[in-house]
Amino acid sequence: MSLISGSAFGQATAVDTAKADTTVKPKIEASHQIELGFDMGCLAKNYLVTDRVGYEFLASWYHKNEIYWVAEGGWGNSTVAYPDLSYKTNSSFLRLGFDKMLLGRENLKDWGGMQMGLRLGAAHVSRADAQYTIVDSTWGTTSGAVSGKSFVPVWAEITAGVRVELIRGIITGWNIRGKFMLNGKSFNDLSPTYIAGFGQGDKNSSFDFNFYLLYALRWNRKQ
Amino acid sequence: MISPSNRFLQFVIVAGILTVGLNACNKDRQVCLTPKTASMYIESMHLPKDTSTVEIDTALPSAVFTAITLGGDKSFQYTTPSASFTLSLSPVADSCVWLLTPDSTGTSATDTLTFYYSREVKFISNACGFTTFFQLDSAHTTRNNITGITINNTSVTNNANVAKHIKLHIKPNF
Repeated sequence: MSLISGSAFGQATAVDTAKADTTVKPKIEASHQIELGFDMGCLAKNYLVTDRVGYEFLASWYHKNEIYWVAEGGWGNSTVAYPDLSYKTNSSFLRLGFDKMLLGRENLKDWGGMQMGLRLGAAHVSRADAQYTIVDSTWGTTSGAVSGKSFVPVWAEITAGVRVELIRGIITGWNIRGKFMLNGKSFNDLSPTYIAGFGQGDKNSSFDFNFYLLYALRWNRKQ
Repeated sequence: MISPSNRFLQFVIVAGILTVGLNACNKDRQVCLTPKTASMYIESMHLPKDTSTVEIDTALPSAVFTAITLGGDKSFQYTTPSASFTLSLSPVADSCVWLLTPDSTGTSATDTLTFYYSREVKFISNACGFTTFFQLDSAHTTRNNITGITINNTSVTNNANVAKHIKLHIKPNF
């Protein structure tokens, strides 16, 4: 008897659960937000890698539908001082795109979570005159110079990352990026070793990591 | 549900792993994995009979190639019989001279190979630097052991997967 009762109780529970699952969770739409921040990962890279320096900043605007419109910019320079090749570069860049939060927010105060995004980036790179040496053990060594040049690389990025609000208005986050050069052949005569915002200039793709600290300004927040 | 403190801890751990991992890949200069020298590939061949129309490979028993350079003569010996050879062209002039002794163990005469070409300095990569590519214009030889020389491929680059550049026609009775 008790088994029958238990079975009947289990069925009733299952029916209740099914009813609960069909309830549409109301969409939580937060208000506007602007974020301003910088990439702390650059500081670590500047310390660990000796031949280049770079700085990156970002601004984002949350409008609606869990989409953040993003503008990123920065600058950098590099010094190549190999025995057979030497030159210097300066570059600045701008990236525009968006991040989409992958999960809906739990409440109006929830500004963290996982996100994916796309970017379109462009840089202005100025390379100074380069000196090179070609060592040939049979015929002898030759040296020469390549005139300085400026060019504008353009690339696309796909990003994925996580963000956490540490305290109200202070957000930190990391993301990884796959970057794909769209016009790499335009500077094949001497690809710069470093393009700010992209990475290694003589490769058509690169992977990068950013570790942001952001300050958020919010208004018209619904309570 | 993950609490905010756990979420932040997970965040810091992943960020730390990514920072260390990605920066471990960031060497100041990458390793050069591309051939830096433009090589000229040569094959030696001969007609088996005077009436033959198709040449076959001629393995030279112990060939010695000697580059005539501003810094003196530099020899390279093939210690086993071979019909395929790799030479370099001079990046410091528009022509160069190689001496060929087909059999260094015997008394075979030496031939002089002279190559004329144009040069182009080419950027490979930041890891490898620059090199020189060549465009062959003409090739000439003395005729002690060689009946003629033919340019089969004029473009001498660092690409190893190309047709032989030069055919050396060896005398049938060599």
